[in-house]
Amino acid sequence: MTALVPLALAAALLPPLLGWISVAPNRLVSPRAAALPGSLPVLAAAGLYYLSLLGMLLSAWRPRLSWLPEAAAILAILSLAATVGLGTAAALPAGSTVARAAPAAGAWLSLLVLSLALAAAAVIRGGAPALPLLVGLLGLAVLGAAGGLDSLSLVREAAGRAAELRDALAGHVALSLAALLLALILAVPFSALALGRPRLEAAFLTAASSIQVIPSIALFGLLIAPLAALASAFPALRELGLGGIGPAPAILGIAAYLVLPLARGILSGLRVAPADLVEAARGQGLSPAGVLWGLRVPLGAGVMLGALRLAAVQAVGLATLAALVGGGGLGTLVFQGIGQLATDLILLGVLPVLALSLAVDAGLALLARLVPA
Amino acid sequence: MIRFEGVSHQYGTLEALRGVSFEVPAGALCVLLGESGSGKSTLLRTVNRLIEPTAGRVLLDGRDVAGIDPQALRRGIGYVIQSVGLFPHRSVAGNVATVPRLLGWDRARVEPRVNALLEMVGLDPGTYRDRRPATLSGGQAQRVGLARALAADPPVLLMDEPFSALDPGTRRGLQTALRRIHAETGKTILLVTHDLEEALVLADRIAVMAEGRLVAEGPPAEVLGPGAPEAVRRMVRTGALVLHRLAALPAAGAAENGPAPGSPGLPAGATLEDALLLMLAHGTDSVALEGAPPRHLTMTAILRASAP
Repeated sequence: MTALVPLALAAALLPPLLGWISVAPNRLVSPRAAALPGSLPVLAAAGLYYLSLLGMLLSAWRPRLSWLPEAAAILAILSLAATVGLGTAAALPAGSTVARAAPAAGAWLSLLVLSLALAAAAVIRGGAPALPLLVGLLGLAVLGAAGGLDSLSLVREAAGRAAELRDALAGHVALSLAALLLALILAVPFSALALGRPRLEAAFLTAASSIQVIPSIALFGLLIAPLAALASAFPALRELGLGGIGPAPAILGIAAYLVLPLARGILSGLRVAPADLVEAARGQGLSPAGVLWGLRVPLGAGVMLGALRLAAVQAVGLATLAALVGGGGLGTLVFQGIGQLATDLILLGVLPVLALSLAVDAGLALLARLVPA
Repeated sequence: MIRFEGVSHQYGTLEALRGVSFEVPAGALCVLLGESGSGKSTLLRTVNRLIEPTAGRVLLDGRDVAGIDPQALRRGIGYVIQSVGLFPHRSVAGNVATVPRLLGWDRARVEPRVNALLEMVGLDPGTYRDRRPATLSGGQAQRVGLARALAADPPVLLMDEPFSALDPGTRRGLQTALRRIHAETGKTILLVTHDLEEALVLADRIAVMAEGRLVAEGPPAEVLGPGAPEAVRRMVRTGALVLHRLAALPAAGAAENGPAPGSPGLPAGATLEDALLLMLAHGTDSVALEGAPPRHLTMTAILRASAP
């Protein structure tokens, strides 16, 4: 694990060089890096941080402890967050409600470097990076729930917008799920039909891949006019929630992007069963449906689940853009934050998207492991 | 009984079969012999309708197969292929039970049938029932393939180069097993091979194919006789055809009455080739046939039989 050595060194040097915490007298003034207060809890947290970095370094010489790099990186992330949380709590002027505190550049960059190290360690061990990253994020959430990060402006922002955040998260999940379902409804029957019909397959895949070259924002925009026209021509559709603006163009647009990875994955999954095996099955008297469900689907399940995983993660990411056409979701917070130059608000939208992607990825990876190869 | 009547098949412009007509009698083990591309596999697959003839028809017990639902037809015909084609996600027992399950047999009937079949092909049910195909050797896998083909007790068995991918020792073991099973069950078997020796070991009748045509058909000794077609002569070293012909003739047919003291013993059921090899090995010009009454076979008799 010598690859982790430069990352651990960077994580050790960045906070003292570029600052652990930053403080601003109020929301409107740019924050400035501030010295880490020398209180005992802060020093203890920082000490734990350097101990865990030492653990990462040690793993380079103890390759047999395969769990060590990941455990040390997660511990480093959590102790970094604790250092910053306790440090900002001590640094804020007592009694002030307008003063704001946040991690400084050094702490942010270290967090990035440590996430990278964690993902790299997971990949080198041969596992999926999503699971340890998710564990790290969950640890941060526990730390936050315990009040360890209450003084951070991001957490204050979240507390102030709790209801909004909850709605955005629920909307995001609904958008991603709806788009994924719609894409499945399109991709599954077409893939089954296209199997053994090369011309249909070529036409279908060409159509699905030509959508991929349209930028997503442009596609959402393109859908506004026809959907608005459809809604005004058929008022019944408008009652169902269809319109040029809102979730409808977003769901359609996202689904359009998901059809290609899904169809490709399903088709290659259906082709996992070799031709002579299919021939033998037909020769035993299996019906076409019997060959599909008894042979092609069970043998290709792993490949097809992989495609579903890819598409689901893509759906969560793309749903962020739904806010641009009034579709709701966590993108609402992100684009509001961009409009207001409010970094905390952007993060408030981005971090749940990240957690959601990791959770979907890890969940489907676990499911794929349950399928016998 | 399988009857081919003017069966032709075209792949695009390629004529794979050109008017093949012959009959496989009920209970016969007929070997379709030919080189790669001779059309033998294509002809075999017209029987279970994996391939539809573009002209002519195939009759099974007098019924045109074109009028039988393909899936019902195939469930009534055993099918074994070179690559075996066991379902990798099912156990050995699950594979063998494929057709009985499709036919809706209940568990109480399937279980003992699977065990009996595994025993018939020489695999201990207790050891092999629950194994996955990936854990079997090539020979074991093809034994399971044979058991699967026999599972629903079909009267006809189609075998497409079933032993060609196996090493010589394993192949001989499976050939012996197939001969025994054929003798025990009396199935009508049509087997495709490009291996003349295999044809001689197995066949009651040989049908030789070349360029989509049937060039010879009949009992092995007849097909390999002096008038053997070019397609057959090409399969062996020049002049060696006569040895293969001896392998197709039973030793008992050329034996004379009376003992042959001091001569090595030849097992009953051996061929003239076996007798000749035994004479060469012992440097004698006669062998004694085992069994009663005492009979023996001389080199002169072999010479008479080899060039009639």
